[in-house]
Amino acid sequence: MEFTREIYWNVGHGFTTLAPMYGLLLVALTVLVLGCLKRIKVYRLGQPLDRTDQRGLRMRNLLESVLLQTKVFRVPGAGTAHALFFWSFFILMIGTSLIVAQADFTDLFFGVKFLKGTFYKLFSVVLDLAGLIAILMLGGLLVRRYLIRPEGLLTKSDDAVMHGLLLAILVTGFLIEGARMAVTELNTPLALWSPVGLVTAKMLTSLGEGGLRTLHAGLWWLHLLLALAFIAIIPYTKFRHILTSSANAYLADLGPTGKLTTINLEDETTEKFGASEVTDLRWKDIFDADACTLCKRCQDRCPAYTTGKPLSPMQVINQIGEISFTNPAANLIDTVGREAIWACTTCRACQDICPASIEHVSKIIEMRRNLVLMEGEFPGEEVMTAMEQTEVNGNPLGMGYAARGDWAEALGITALAEDAEVEVLYFVGCYASFDKRNIAVAKSFVKLCQAAGVKVGILGKEEKCCGEPMRKMGNEYLYQTLAMEMIETIKGYGVKKIVTTCPHCFNTLTKDYRDFDFAIEVVPHVVFLDELITTGRLRIKAEPFSCTYHDSCYLGRHNNLYEAPRNLIRTAGGNLTEMAQNRDQAFCCSAGGGRIMAEENLGERINIKRVRMAVDTGADQLLANCPFCLTMFEDGVKGADVEAQLRPKDLAEILAERLAEQPQSV
Amino acid sequence: MKILICIKQVPDMESKFKINGEGNWYDRTDLAWRMNEYDEYAVEQAVRLKEQVGDADLTVLCIGPDQVKETMKKALAMGCDRGVQIGDNDAHKREPIEIAAMIAGFAKDKNFDIIFTGMQSQDRGSAQVGVMVAEMLAIPAVTTIVGFSFDNGAVKVKRELEGGSKALVSTTTPVLLTCQLGLNTPRYPTLPNIMKAKKKELLTLAPDTGGVCASQETAAFYFPERKGSGIVLEGDVSDLADKLIQLLKEKTGVLA
Repeated sequence: MEFTREIYWNVGHGFTTLAPMYGLLLVALTVLVLGCLKRIKVYRLGQPLDRTDQRGLRMRNLLESVLLQTKVFRVPGAGTAHALFFWSFFILMIGTSLIVAQADFTDLFFGVKFLKGTFYKLFSVVLDLAGLIAILMLGGLLVRRYLIRPEGLLTKSDDAVMHGLLLAILVTGFLIEGARMAVTELNTPLALWSPVGLVTAKMLTSLGEGGLRTLHAGLWWLHLLLALAFIAIIPYTKFRHILTSSANAYLADLGPTGKLTTINLEDETTEKFGASEVTDLRWKDIFDADACTLCKRCQDRCPAYTTGKPLSPMQVINQIGEISFTNPAANLIDTVGREAIWACTTCRACQDICPASIEHVSKIIEMRRNLVLMEGEFPGEEVMTAMEQTEVNGNPLGMGYAARGDWAEALGITALAEDAEVEVLYFVGCYASFDKRNIAVAKSFVKLCQAAGVKVGILGKEEKCCGEPMRKMGNEYLYQTLAMEMIETIKGYGVKKIVTTCPHCFNTLTKDYRDFDFAIEVVPHVVFLDELITTGRLRIKAEPFSCTYHDSCYLGRHNNLYEAPRNLIRTAGGNLTEMAQNRDQAFCCSAGGGRIMAEENLGERINIKRVRMAVDTGADQLLANCPFCLTMFEDGVKGADVEAQLRPKDLAEILAERLAEQPQSV
Repeated sequence: MKILICIKQVPDMESKFKINGEGNWYDRTDLAWRMNEYDEYAVEQAVRLKEQVGDADLTVLCIGPDQVKETMKKALAMGCDRGVQIGDNDAHKREPIEIAAMIAGFAKDKNFDIIFTGMQSQDRGSAQVGVMVAEMLAIPAVTTIVGFSFDNGAVKVKRELEGGSKALVSTTTPVLLTCQLGLNTPRYPTLPNIMKAKKKELLTLAPDTGGVCASQETAAFYFPERKGSGIVLEGDVSDLADKLIQLLKEKTGVLA
């Protein structure tokens, strides 16, 4: 026998079937397009932004994240179920399209049928299993949402409509198949190629051919209506993410990761800075709200949210969407709330995990910019004081600027003002210059450089804060003032290479400063030291110790530097026990986003929470690569009362304690 | 109404201070400069008063070399309308009465309704300039205010007195008020105001003491002698105890 089936069996392939079918399809598509246009009008309320450069890369991102579900797949469980559901549903959609293509096109016009023979057998079994997997995954997701109810998951009426409609489409599909097979395929070898359909058919046989035909015709039309309803309501329900999240993969920020947009302060016609209304944001910021699926991955990872602070990145995105579509003139800052806006540590955990390529951090920074630049508002007086101290002394700690290089006096390190012939400029940063604990890190780093025969210079009292904490806190003006001054000073000495011990300095110099014609190579100390070791310039003797390692947000998620620090730990003989949240999932220390200058008055303390995660590894030492992290952990071990158990240290200190005899310099 | 705010540029108190060559004041190198803290309260109160009454003209006055313009810009960015610099490279050597004479000389024919000054400067700390200006202009002065209200020409202030007691004083304009910590929290200038400040009038006048001469001489200027400063011991607890015993043996007689 020929392995195939009659398309439009029982419903007929005449005008009375095709006309209403294609008529309704047209209606569904019209409703879909009208809904999209209505929403596009709202996106256009935002400021212009070009996201059409690097089209090849953007297209690749789109295909990867949609077809391969790469971003969705990162979180097992619900992510796995979504990916499997997507693939199954996608296969069913292709299958249906093939049927339409043959019946209403190739066969109709050219008499060509391809749904036959081995291909049909394969087609049949694949679609059958896809339908089964789709139902199972959807069922799993239903149980999760409505019975398990994970903490923080927002369930709205949309979700009921979506789950119900999809389930109805899938179930009616199998019933139609079962009814047809009960009449035409039972006891034929072909039936085995539709195992789920066969089971359904066997359940339905008792209806008899007449009943089956009536059931089949009724369900066929119902199935069609449901499928068309699904298409029509895409823009009106969270189904819209099929279009918007996919489009967002194309429209995503292509980096450099975490670099903020630079405000043109030379433009004297600008009267408003930052965002106090949605119309001050870019169109993409409004679009992001439509791309959000409320999956809460951002919220689950947000150090502010998980320690009881009034910030949920997911909420912020949706608040922007809500007022964009209902009352665009509403005050954005009041809607989101000041405490939420100030609570962000810019750790990027939200943005990194977001399967819909949403940009959370820049929106929060825009609101901060408005508060600081237009209102002179800060999260607390201590932050305003830190800003003023930075204006006066070039550091948020308020230390006298002239003492900035004092820590290096006894080490034979001089400022470039005295000797600019150096191999690298060590951009020390405020904490390693003035904070006693971090001065120890700076000294260890210099000791390692000197052992490797690297001639290091510093800017000394000419160095000022790179401006990172101020910029992240919204003070773009102060940031730019500091940046301009640092760039001029550094360029003035003809520096070839800069090394930092602070990832915030590193990220700022290597990304943000690029907007001001600054192209000097910048290397973080962990990478620099790793290179010195691998090239044989620096010898370290391995002495065993137990430790855990904290990936700082600014070396980790912002710069993907996960291996160099771990190499250093191995070289030093460290037995590394990872915390559960490591690498791109690392939990912030609390001090990013300028929060190093602010008191943490709400909820549980983030640094203590992180220190407890480190304690859980059973390691003796908590290794860091960032002065802000180290400061927070020194504070955190006291707060968690684990000073005797856990010593926070910088990687440079671990290495400096294990200096081996060095090779004779050539 | 017309308001005058007198401010001074002082070194940041965290700076590394050194004594100058003449041995009569601090050396000016390696210092970071800022607005005298008490003068910030004066500027803030004047700006708040303008916000209250609407129709007010705020003149900020500063005496010193050209670098004081940087500090004046902050006062303009905070909300003062115009700036007057009395360009005087020797301002740091002047006695309070000379400074007061220069200010009074500028203010005498301008009919200021209120003059705000800091209650003292953070560097010289004489606390005399404000009251002497009032005396020279023959207007009342109320010092060390920590509260201020204005209602249709009537001024009510709260003064901070020795021992934490407070006094409420009512007066009328014209009046000179010297401002103390606790009066207000000075604002952080907004960016549009910083931009506007760059275009505000900033006049420079020649120094004129109107014949008032110096009558004091600084005989010596020095850091306090280190007398028995404290020692902070650091290290492991077990070592600390040994160190402490050793110190007590060497330096004291308590273990003898």
